Amino acid sequence: MSHDDSPRKNHNDIVQYSATRPFWGRLTNWQPYRLLLTFATASPRRQFIILAAFPLLWLLTQHLGPMIQMARVSLLESYPVAQGAPQNFTLDNYIRFFGDHIFWMPFFRTLTFAAVFTFCTLILTYPVAYFLARHVSRHNQMLMLLILLIPFWVGEIVRTYAIMILLGNTGAVNLALKWLGLIERPIPFMYTSFSMGLGIVYLTALYMLLPLYSALEKLPKSYTEVAADLGAGAWTRFRRVTLPLTIEGISSGCTLVFLISTGFYATPVLLGGPSTTVFAETIAGFFHYAGDEWPTGAAFAVIMFAAALFITGLFQKLMKALRRGDTK
Amino acid sequence: MNRSNRIVLACVYWAFVLYVFVPLILMILMGFKDSKFIGFPIRSWTLDWYYSIFSDAEILYTFGYSMLIAILSTLISVIIGTWLALLLEGRKFWGWAVTFGLMVLPALVPGIISAIAFRIYARWLGIEPGMGAIIWAHAVHNVPFVSLVVMARLSTLPKSQTEAARDLGADPLVAFLRITLPYLVPSILGASIFCMLLSFDDFVRSFFLGGYEETLPVLIFAMLRSGMSPEINAIATIALVLTAAIGIWAERFTRRTNKESQL
Repeated sequence: MSHDDSPRKNHNDIVQYSATRPFWGRLTNWQPYRLLLTFATASPRRQFIILAAFPLLWLLTQHLGPMIQMARVSLLESYPVAQGAPQNFTLDNYIRFFGDHIFWMPFFRTLTFAAVFTFCTLILTYPVAYFLARHVSRHNQMLMLLILLIPFWVGEIVRTYAIMILLGNTGAVNLALKWLGLIERPIPFMYTSFSMGLGIVYLTALYMLLPLYSALEKLPKSYTEVAADLGAGAWTRFRRVTLPLTIEGISSGCTLVFLISTGFYATPVLLGGPSTTVFAETIAGFFHYAGDEWPTGAAFAVIMFAAALFITGLFQKLMKALRRGDTK
Repeated sequence: MNRSNRIVLACVYWAFVLYVFVPLILMILMGFKDSKFIGFPIRSWTLDWYYSIFSDAEILYTFGYSMLIAILSTLISVIIGTWLALLLEGRKFWGWAVTFGLMVLPALVPGIISAIAFRIYARWLGIEPGMGAIIWAHAVHNVPFVSLVVMARLSTLPKSQTEAARDLGADPLVAFLRITLPYLVPSILGASIFCMLLSFDDFVRSFFLGGYEETLPVLIFAMLRSGMSPEINAIATIALVLTAAIGIWAERFTRRTNKESQL
């Protein structure tokens, strides 16, 4: 029992020291606590297992579990499985997707819209991020960024509603246009892909702005100055120096915004019309019933997620290739 | 050339600020309009819509219900998110990348798909739609945000501090409780405010996992679908002021504590 000696000696020191520290001293001297601790820290391996067991269990059951269960239900013939009946697995739910254009039309529309809106967000926020990172003093940067953050703490539904007020037939835009004498009758902005796009860009702009800003901020000013000294014009400087070096920010911002845009449900319902039905509404339709349509809904959700992941993966690969091509 | 560039960019920035603020300001103004008809121009002003909200027990109850869900789900997210951050930051182990990927997964799944997956899983677990299911879904969805914020903070803690504590006789748990945890507090508080806002504002998960009682965004959505009522402006304005005020306070708080601990 020789290895037991040194901790005990140490322990006596702690007892004296801890007389002035009642709580921590009492805790570390408390017999059950010490037994527990010596058990838990007996080896680095055991210490790691105790630290890791619960979070890993959580990740598997709570983060991965819902996805796996969704994939399983998507393969079932019917759900819930009747008592005593065998579980029949089938691909019918996936095949159903290709069979009818009322399914795949919204699907392709969603992907197209998401790509277009992502691109619009990028075009809109890049100059803003560029201005903040390159033309504003450090102290003001934080303040000016904070101003932009305020509206983004406000929820999705409230901001969607704000867009409805802006664009409605008696909304502010129509009122302003009428007042300027440009139109006589209000322009029906609402329930079109335009109103939906404006709303979605409004909701996602921040997720693009922040990655772009942090990428631009990291870029040393001297790089463009050197390029200027070597005779590069403003456009060349931007295209050959700034753009390639912020591709990482562009890539992560676009990925994030694309994934978020494909997942919107309330905004298309409120701002879109019958001609702009997105896939989220199609999927949601299967869940308004008691449950016999769930497998199809789950299958469609899996298709949607797989497609979104595939496109963002492809996009990131492309961006990486672009970056490598530029550094060569 | 540089100067004119700068002016153009400044104009773009302020135009963007307008784009971001004008819709919300119009909505706030509309809440004071003295007419049942939503639209411009506003000719006379009133506070009636606010009076009618504060005398409507159902709406007040919805506010409380949403806040309770936000607080309870945040408690769960913060504990698990911090625990995950402690496991992932500064440690190399077999399967680290997979663990990290699983950790951020709920934040990357598009909204509708995440809501559907939670709905299916809740049914499989036997959780009835309602408050418990919403709290659980919000908690899982918000874990990655806590973990990422806490990991960033943890990576700036000098290793020498915990080592010194261990050298002075503190066991790992005491060293964690007295050195690491106090250092993490600003980031944990910041993350919990952020989680509360996410949960309070969340629509899609609350919509698919909710029972008969509605959270605030679901209530506003239902009111919008059944036709615009001027009360919505007042409700949305209160929600806006509440979330924006908490957000600004949290931002200032985390910035200040970050600055203090850097000195």
